[in-house]
Amino acid sequence: MKKNFLFFNFIFILSIFIISCSKDTSEVINYNEEYKNIFGGSLINAMAGEPSNLIAMIAGDSASSAIAGNIFNSLIKYDENLNYAPDLAESWAISNNQKTITFKLKKGLQWADGNPLTSADVLFTWKLITNPDTRTPYASDYQLVKKASAPDPLTFKITYETSYAPALDTWSSLHILPKHILKDEDINNTFFSRKPTGSSYYKLDDWISGQQVSLKANEKSVLGSPLIEKLISRIIPDTSSQFLELTADNIDVMNINPIQYQRVFPARKDLQQKVALYKELGNGYTYLGFNLKKPPFNDIRVRQALNYAIDKDEVIKGVLLGLGESISSPYKPGTRWNNPNLSPYPYNPSKALELLQEAGFKKNNDGILMKNGKPLKFEIITNQNKQREMTAVVIQKRLQEIGVDVSIRVIEWASFVNRFIKTGDFDVVVLGWSLSLDPDQYNIWHSSQQGPGQFNFLGYSNKNVDRLLELGRKELNVSKREEIYHKFSKYLLEDSPIIYLYAGYGLSAVHKRVKGIKNPAPPAGIYHNNYDWFLPKPLRRNEISAR
Amino acid sequence: MKIFLKNPLALSGLIIILTILILALVAPIIAPYDPNFIDINSILFPPSINHLMGTDGLGRDVFSRMLYGAQISLLVGFVAVGIATFIGVILGSLAGFYRGWVDSLIMRFVDIMLSIPTFFLILAVIAFLTPSIWNIMIVIGLTSWMGVTRLVRAEFFSLRQREYVLAAETMGSNHLSIIIKHLLPNSLTPIIVSSVLGIASAVLVESGLSFLGLGVQAPTASWGNILTDGKEYIQFAWWLSLFPGLAILITVLGYNLLGEGLRDILDPKNKI
Repeated sequence: MKKNFLFFNFIFILSIFIISCSKDTSEVINYNEEYKNIFGGSLINAMAGEPSNLIAMIAGDSASSAIAGNIFNSLIKYDENLNYAPDLAESWAISNNQKTITFKLKKGLQWADGNPLTSADVLFTWKLITNPDTRTPYASDYQLVKKASAPDPLTFKITYETSYAPALDTWSSLHILPKHILKDEDINNTFFSRKPTGSSYYKLDDWISGQQVSLKANEKSVLGSPLIEKLISRIIPDTSSQFLELTADNIDVMNINPIQYQRVFPARKDLQQKVALYKELGNGYTYLGFNLKKPPFNDIRVRQALNYAIDKDEVIKGVLLGLGESISSPYKPGTRWNNPNLSPYPYNPSKALELLQEAGFKKNNDGILMKNGKPLKFEIITNQNKQREMTAVVIQKRLQEIGVDVSIRVIEWASFVNRFIKTGDFDVVVLGWSLSLDPDQYNIWHSSQQGPGQFNFLGYSNKNVDRLLELGRKELNVSKREEIYHKFSKYLLEDSPIIYLYAGYGLSAVHKRVKGIKNPAPPAGIYHNNYDWFLPKPLRRNEISAR
Repeated sequence: MKIFLKNPLALSGLIIILTILILALVAPIIAPYDPNFIDINSILFPPSINHLMGTDGLGRDVFSRMLYGAQISLLVGFVAVGIATFIGVILGSLAGFYRGWVDSLIMRFVDIMLSIPTFFLILAVIAFLTPSIWNIMIVIGLTSWMGVTRLVRAEFFSLRQREYVLAAETMGSNHLSIIIKHLLPNSLTPIIVSSVLGIASAVLVESGLSFLGLGVQAPTASWGNILTDGKEYIQFAWWLSLFPGLAILITVLGYNLLGEGLRDILDPKNKI
């Protein structure tokens, strides 16, 4: 009897508990109120890949640089309008002959372990990245520095052989590393890549392989304190799983795809209440590139004809659900480097046929274009990226309509690069470029950059373009530079070594508990001021369930 | 036919397979759309009267793609198993008929092949070759003949001692005619059964390869391809995952039922 009583008692308490719980969660939280910015809380984001190495100059993958960017500083950085701003350097001066740059560091800088950060660290980092034993793909920019010196602890001085316009851009992306820890270490293989000591807003707290990397606020940071105490990056390779985690309230930030943005969100009231969407044009584009060393792609008429035969608006509508823009120069639309007088090749299949006939192609009885008994036939290769594959399918359909026989092959990234790109054994690729903020594209388009493993793998060579690219690197006057790159874009569009397909929007979903995000996004993007983001206390996630 | 009617399992298997076969054959007639017709104004529409199984990420009609995909799946099944059976019968006959070192050699080779995980072998080979439907059929065929070889060999071992074989040998028939006229017809039952079951696994392997992006290449429709496309939209566009998944399930089930049923029907020991 007593047992029974206890049992009922237990059920009773349990049911009260359940009722009170359900009441609790059903209460609508108002995310739109004004909240005070108090330090604390954890922000959880999702990333598809695990960082390989937190030393950015060695790693080279986007997951690593995203994490390392919160731990390390550079000398200077871009502000929200993409102008140069102080980071570790308080000021910088360019000499009259435009070959020497002198950086003055801020006073009282220190590493997260309390050691002072001086110009000796900067000099050490420069020596490290230009050391031939350091396995980094980024050395070439810094090898142009003829002389570097640190005359006093707050001054760092570099001299170039000739004036070098992208110089400041390169110093805005070089993370300064601590000399006192790394001077006796082999940078290619050091504990530091997993246990870094930096100087920025955050420091590494905990790294569980295959699960998550968590950072916590660096109280020694002289740049000030961030408002969010912990940044946790969970490694979730599959985007659909990431999305499930977002809907289950287990992550706060993720990148979403056009279908999720255009179709899933509008249909889900519950999600709209707690998640905000952001859309910003990324600094990159997707293109169809020809192997210019192979006929018939060495014929400009064929390239232009194919450009006319592809309906870019259809690609953008079909693959990106309209979340992209068509472009006509290799720069982000709306920036000063983008030539506003250029416009994409319109969709015009009859013009395409005309050009192909001029180039010697005739339709046979099956409607296939033939020249000298050979059909116009090629293979589009791309890596395992659903958007690119779908793009190829849409293009294939359009080209088949004018009588071009196109096949598609999707290849895993490592063999894509090693077996096809590096050997030049391909016809046509669908790929993308992510670009830095400096307009210099010497590595991609200059005719000297065609060696195996170099970026001009399409084999583009145009004397006028070569000259402009060389000029553009030396010119420090911004409006003159602008003119140079506008001309360069014009040549590139006429030659049509690639067909610009689209510049897609970067789409982010951020939980509404995160405050302080600039909307609409400034030119530098919403993540630009993430140390100003904050989590109001009433909106914070239960800290135990977050782990 | 009467025996089929007595065995409901075999009958249902046969009906399933015949239905799918007929649907695949008449696909060009009954498919409401061109399977590769891209319509950017009807992306990811749910099933309706216009699109019986909805549309995919490029606005293509899933029902039409399923019908054409059936052609691919069945073709891969038949050709791959054809190749495997052909190799298996020849090697099995040689091993079972001549025994001795021929048998040892062939059986050790079979053992080696069996010790390699087939799916990974296929993955490695396809990654090296161009993934195309013909390559896939050949590779699946070349990696799945071992079962047939063993069956044929075992069958030959017992038949070899029968009086009619000895009689044929004494009367001076050559080896080839003994194998073809006397031994093979009598070991047909296990070959047929294992072939039918083999088709089921070939269909599964093809779907698996296409799902991993190493199978039939876009834009050609195959059930595995449609399933991969659907993976990305699974919380939103259930029809892209459900229909190809069901199709694969039902087809494999059909072949298995038919295979099991045939074994019961053709097994003389069951006729009491």
